[in-house]
Parts: sequence; C-alpha cells; structure tokens
Amino acid sequence: MSAEARPLPAEAWALRRATLGMWVFLATELMFFGPLFFGYWYGRLAFVDAFFAASRQTDVLLGGINTAVLLASSAFMACAVDALEAGKRRASPWLLLATAALGLAFLGIKGVEYLDDFHKGLYPGGDTRLDSGGRLFFLLYYAMTGVHALHLFIGIGVALVFAFGIARRRPALCDPGRLRVAGLYWHFVDSIWIFLYPILYLAGRSG
Amino acid sequence: MAASYLEEGYTLKSWLTTRDHKRIALLYLAAITAFFFVGGAAATLIRIELATPAADVVTPDTYNRLFTAHGVIMVWLFLIPSIPATLGNFLMPMMIGARDLAFPRLNLASWYIYIAGGTMIMVALLEGGVDTGWTFYTPYSTLFSNSHVVLALAGVFVLGFSSILTGLNFIVTVHTLRAPGMTWFRLPLFVWANYATALILVLATPVLAMTLTLVAIERIFQVGIFDPGMGGDPLLFQHFFWFYSHPAVYIMVLPAMGVASEIIPCFARKQVFGYRMMAYAILGIAAVGFLVWGHHMFVSGQSVYASLAFSLLSFIVAIPSAIKVFNWTATLYKGSISFTAPMLYALGFVGLFTIGGLTGLYLASLALDVDLTDTYFVVAHFHYIMVGGSVMAYLGGIHFWWPKISGRKYPENWGRAAAVLIFFGFNLTFFPQYLLGFNGMPRRYASYPAEFTLLNVLSSAGASILAVGYLLPLGYLGWSMFRGERVAGNPWQATGLEWTTASPPPKDNFEETPTVERGPYCYTPAGGETQA
Amino acid sequence: MNGRRFYRRNLGVGILLMLLLAATTASAYVPMGAWNTVVNFAIAAAKIGLVAAFFMHLLDADALLRIAAAVALLMLSIFLTLASTDYLARRISPAPWQGPHVLRPSSPAR
Repeated sequence: MSAEARPLPAEAWALRRATLGMWVFLATELMFFGPLFFGYWYGRLAFVDAFFAASRQTDVLLGGINTAVLLASSAFMACAVDALEAGKRRASPWLLLATAALGLAFLGIKGVEYLDDFHKGLYPGGDTRLDSGGRLFFLLYYAMTGVHALHLFIGIGVALVFAFGIARRRPALCDPGRLRVAGLYWHFVDSIWIFLYPILYLAGRSG
Repeated sequence: MAASYLEEGYTLKSWLTTRDHKRIALLYLAAITAFFFVGGAAATLIRIELATPAADVVTPDTYNRLFTAHGVIMVWLFLIPSIPATLGNFLMPMMIGARDLAFPRLNLASWYIYIAGGTMIMVALLEGGVDTGWTFYTPYSTLFSNSHVVLALAGVFVLGFSSILTGLNFIVTVHTLRAPGMTWFRLPLFVWANYATALILVLATPVLAMTLTLVAIERIFQVGIFDPGMGGDPLLFQHFFWFYSHPAVYIMVLPAMGVASEIIPCFARKQVFGYRMMAYAILGIAAVGFLVWGHHMFVSGQSVYASLAFSLLSFIVAIPSAIKVFNWTATLYKGSISFTAPMLYALGFVGLFTIGGLTGLYLASLALDVDLTDTYFVVAHFHYIMVGGSVMAYLGGIHFWWPKISGRKYPENWGRAAAVLIFFGFNLTFFPQYLLGFNGMPRRYASYPAEFTLLNVLSSAGASILAVGYLLPLGYLGWSMFRGERVAGNPWQATGLEWTTASPPPKDNFEETPTVERGPYCYTPAGGETQA
Repeated sequence: MNGRRFYRRNLGVGILLMLLLAATTASAYVPMGAWNTVVNFAIAAAKIGLVAAFFMHLLDADALLRIAAAVALLMLSIFLTLASTDYLARRISPAPWQGPHVLRPSSPAR
C-alpha cells in the first residue's frame, strides 16, 4: 500500500479507515467465537452419539425460521445501505426499521425456543436425561446462541439509531459510509448464525 | 512557535478528556508504573519468603496468592501494555508522519477500559486475592479454588478489550495514515514491531476473553466442559489459554525488539544491518508464534504427536529471533559506539534476550522439558526474556525518548548507573534460578529442601539490588521532569521523523505533513542526518 | 449502484440464500453419514460467501479488506486444526479407576 499523492478527499480516507477498522474488529469477533467452535468440535469427537442426540432435541422448525428471518434482515440491511448511497434517503429508514424488526423477531423466536428448552429440562443443570455429551452440547448451544443474541441486540440498537437519525436528517447519521460500516457488523452477525444453524440444529438429523 | 502538547491545558480534565495520543501515552505511563511497583512488591515478598527454606514468612496459601498477583499484574497490567501503550502510542503517529492515531477517541477509551480492568483486579487482590496462578488452570480454578477467581477473570476480560482496541488502532493507523513517501520498507523497525504486535493483540486476545468466560461459567454453573469427572477435558482449557498466552509473550517481546532496533543504530552511528530481514523476521516471529502454544502442555497429557509438532515449531520460531540478534550484532560491528544509558539497556536486552531465547530451546526439547517443566528453569527462562529482555528495552526506550517526551534530559550518569545496577541485579536474581531448576526445585512452592538454600539466597540478594535499580529511574526521571536540563529537538542526533519535531512536540506533531524521501537509519559516524 | 438496481441484486442474493437454507435443511434428513456434515459446511460456506461478497461488498473492495477477512479465517482455522492434532492423535489407555465416560463414551454419566 504505497503512499503517493492523495487524490481522494478527506471523507474517502475517513471511510477507508472506518471500514478497515470494522473489518479488523470483525476479525476479533470471529476469534472470540473460536473457543466455542473448538469446544463444539471437541464434543463432536468425544461424544459423537450424545451430540447428535442432543442436536435432535433442538427445534429445527424455529431454528430454520429464525435463519430465514436473519437472512431476510441482511437483505434489508443491504438495501438500506445501498439506498442511502444512491441518495434515496427516504427509503433508508424504513428499510432499517424492517431490518430491526426482523432482528427483534429473531430474538422473540429465540426467546420462545429458550423457554421451550427450559420446560423440557434441556439445560446443563436441568434434566438428568442429559448425559455428559448432552450437557456439553447444550452448554455450547446456550453460549453460542447467547453470545450471538447479545451481538444481535447491539446490532438492532445500531440499526434503530441510524433509522431515526436518517429520518431526522442528523448529518452524522446520514453518512452512507458510516451506515455501510454498521451494515458490515449486521452481516457478520448474520454470518455467524449461518454457521451456527447447521452445527446446532442439523447435526444428526439423518441418524 | 507552537505550544507543546504538555502546555495545551494544565487541568486534570484536559488530561482525562484528551484525544492526543501523546497525553494518552503518559496516562498509560503513570498507570503502568504504579502497577509495576505493586507487582514488584509482590515479588519482593516472594523473594523474602524464598530466602529461607521454610515457609516462615507467609503461609503457603498466601504465597500462592502472592505469585498469582505477581503474575497477573506483571503480565496483564504491566508487560502487555508497557511498550505499545506508552512508547507505541506516543511515537507511532510521529514515526509515520501523522497527526494522531486513526481513532483518537478509541485510544482514550482503551485507557479507561485498562483502568477499569486494573481496578477490578486490584479489588480482587484486596479482597484476598486469587491462588490459582496467573494461568488459572482448571479444574482447580473451576472446582476447588476458594478465592476471588471470577472477579479476577472479569478484570482480565475487561483488560483484554483495552488490548484489542489498541491493536485495532495501530493496524488501521499504519495502513492508512502514513505520510507521502513513507512506504512500508521505509518504516522504522519500531513501527513494524508494533504493527506485528497489534496483529497478535487483535487475533489472540479475543480467544482469551472467551476462555476466561468459559472458566467463569464453569465455576458458577459447574457444567463440566473442563471437568474430567463430567466428561470434560482440563487440557481443553490449556489449549484455549495458551493459544492466547503464547502469542502474548510475543506481544511482550516484539515491541522490545523494535525499541532495540531504534537505539542500537543510533548509538552505533550505523545503518541497521539487514533492514528487510529484520522486518520479515518480525512478521515471522508473529506468525510462527501463533503455532507453538502446545509447548506449554508437553507433560499435561497432550498427544505425543501433537507435542512433536509443537516442539518442531518452537525450534523454528527461534530462527527469526536469532536472525534479529545476529543483525543487531552486525549493526554494532565497525560502528562508532557510545555507551549512553539507552544503549546500555539495549545491549543488555540483546544479551539477556539471547540467553533467555537459548534456554527456551532447552524447554522446547521434549525430553528435556519432562525434567525442566514447572521447575525454576522455566521461571528463569521467562524472566530472562520478559525482564532481562522486555523491561530493559522498555527502560531503554523511556530513556532514549525521554527528551522527546518531556523536553528535558535525565542525568546521564544516574541513567548509566541504574542500567548497570539493573543488569547485575537481574543476573544475580535469575541466573541461580536456572541452576535451581536444573537441580529440580519446583516452582510455585513456598518452601524448599535445604540443599537449595544458597542459590535461593543469592537470588533474593539479587532481587534487592534489582529493586534499587528500578527505583532509581523513578527518582531521577521524575526529578528531571521538573529540574532536568532542557533540550532542543534532537539531542541524540537520531534519525526518524519523530526527532524532526520540537521536544516536546506540539499537539499536532508536525506543522505540515512531511514528505519522506529516504529510508530509516541514515546514520553517518560524524553525526546523524535527520530526515528532510 | 444507481437507480433501483440494488433492490434486484439484493433480492436475488436473498432468494439464493433462502434456497441454500432449504437445501441444507433438506439434505440434513438424507442419510449420508459423514457427508451430511460436509454438505452442511459447504452450503454454510457458500451462504457466508454470498453475504460477504455481495452484502459486505468484499467483491468490490480493496485488496486490504479481503486480506483482513482471509487472515481472520486463516487464524481461526489454524487454531482449530492445530489443537485438533492433539485430540485426534491421543491414545487413551483405559485404567480401572477411570470414569464410565472414558471406558464407554456417550453412555449416561453417573
């Protein structure tokens, strides 16, 4: 990356810094999930049958719906960013609201799932039906989906802040570059779920 | 003539709400120094205890809490931030010709997060401390320890974010804020070193954060991920922990290497030998440093085949470090050497780092490690690198850039005396520990068989000299801030963009963005040429 | 991306993602042994790839950003792979005092 004369304006450089900063941050977030992924891998090796059995106890319908919800929300977020960049400032807040609404829907469905799991005793301190492998599976299930949900919650907040900021024409928030950077975070959260869905819900379904 | 950054506001608020990387660096310097002496106090008590074979000064339980406190404070509150957060923060923007880091407010946030984490750890210590060792091994930490593990873990977790944000800031800064003409291979090696360190900070620290979270979850909910009785694996913790903690030692040593690479050419009045290889070696150390963590687990039950792989990789990681030592030596060859205080520290760094590094190879050998692991050999090895290496380089850097930071000179003879005292005190403290380890004295024990007494007494005696050595700079550097002789911009006639500014520099560093036309280290014997 | 073309593109990517979701869910019920995992991972990778390339604009981004993303994935892979060498290459020697989970994995705990 050589540093000759700079033809780009200052805002373009600020965007470049912010984008690189967000990607570096996303790298740290990916590594943050690392031990959970490895814990899952360890469990899959050490407790093959128990892991498959435990995975079959998850609600694949709700999980699948949630995945679709999040995928749709990503599409809406992408549209919100593109709309703002194309100068269509009116459309953007609505698209962001749709994104946030889908995110909230995800959290709602997740909450229903958690309640269901509690009733069924599927948690590490709960039902004695769960053996070591099952307990480990569900620890990782709650840890991974919980950390994911926390990140999603933050993303919803950011989306709402931008939605209202753009609607009210706050200059700091009407910045398409900033929204694009925020969008990166949302898509990352979606990507994590794309990976969590098969490993938590689809393992052992054919067994 | 613009006001210096020190004169831009004298209120506490102007310091606590600053966005100036130079002021933030000083905020870190103050905090780090305080923590260093707290960790040092723990070490003093340890060495007092170990001066006699019996556990007669403190109970064994208290001793456990002391070495844990010493480790936690020295690793996370002192060494990891030491050079990057003080010298790195202060110098990186200046060395690349920028006004500040990429994200100045994030930089200040990093400091506050550091203070928050440090406070939590201090509270945990005041409440009685932790007795697990800084390594928090399971299942002791998760099932059996009756100490404030969760609070300490939370403090370290919070500290981790400070590290991550600093690393993020450095990476984006080096990629996007270099002045025109400052290509990658014109960067000072200090910048390369901190950049590589930032990569490690960013990629390794999050793993620690999750690991500590899992330990806390295990401790609170007893789920069984690390408990062998419930089908978990204690070694799983060790994989997670050392995946971070081994690269962490490179976080501690790479910036020190960067400092040495700035000091040695200056006081040998010679271009650094093999600049490109030095840069590649820095990247090589960072990269291979991620691949060796299993060498901490050779006797823990890890598969022998994995251990073989880790052993081989640990030998390989020594190669770039050795290249750097050869190149520093070659830089000195036929140089015009002056033994200023920074140079004494830098030379001490090279020698002691070499000894520490070579003894690392002993430990990387599987067969030897079986006997040496968890003995004082390991303790001596890592202290040679972290104290003989990193701390000496840190002090060397503080002295070298002190005129730039404060606009004043410290008293040179006191500086030299302290450097020599530290060198002798250090060797007297830690060399006997190699012999103790070889003879089988285990680490983390408050008492030991009488046959080890002489070496322990020597070590404790050395520690007392070392303590004096560390207190001296505290004294004369502090004195010099108010009464030291004022200096002009570049008293060492060093090259580097940071030396082209006033001492102390103005808030925005450069009056106008410099254009770079030459590589670094354009030294001539008759006196330095500064960059345009 | 001017006009309304981005709506179509994002909708297209979204539909593709949904189709892949259906594919991965359906294929999970087809008994393929170890291939189930492989297929699921491949489809997940494809979905993440689509999100990264189109929604996160990696396709038209600086090389630097692509390198950043690649380094993150590489580091995670190194962690998982190298740590696995331990677990995959261990020899467990069952001894009389070991817990039931070692002697007979996946049986219920005590």
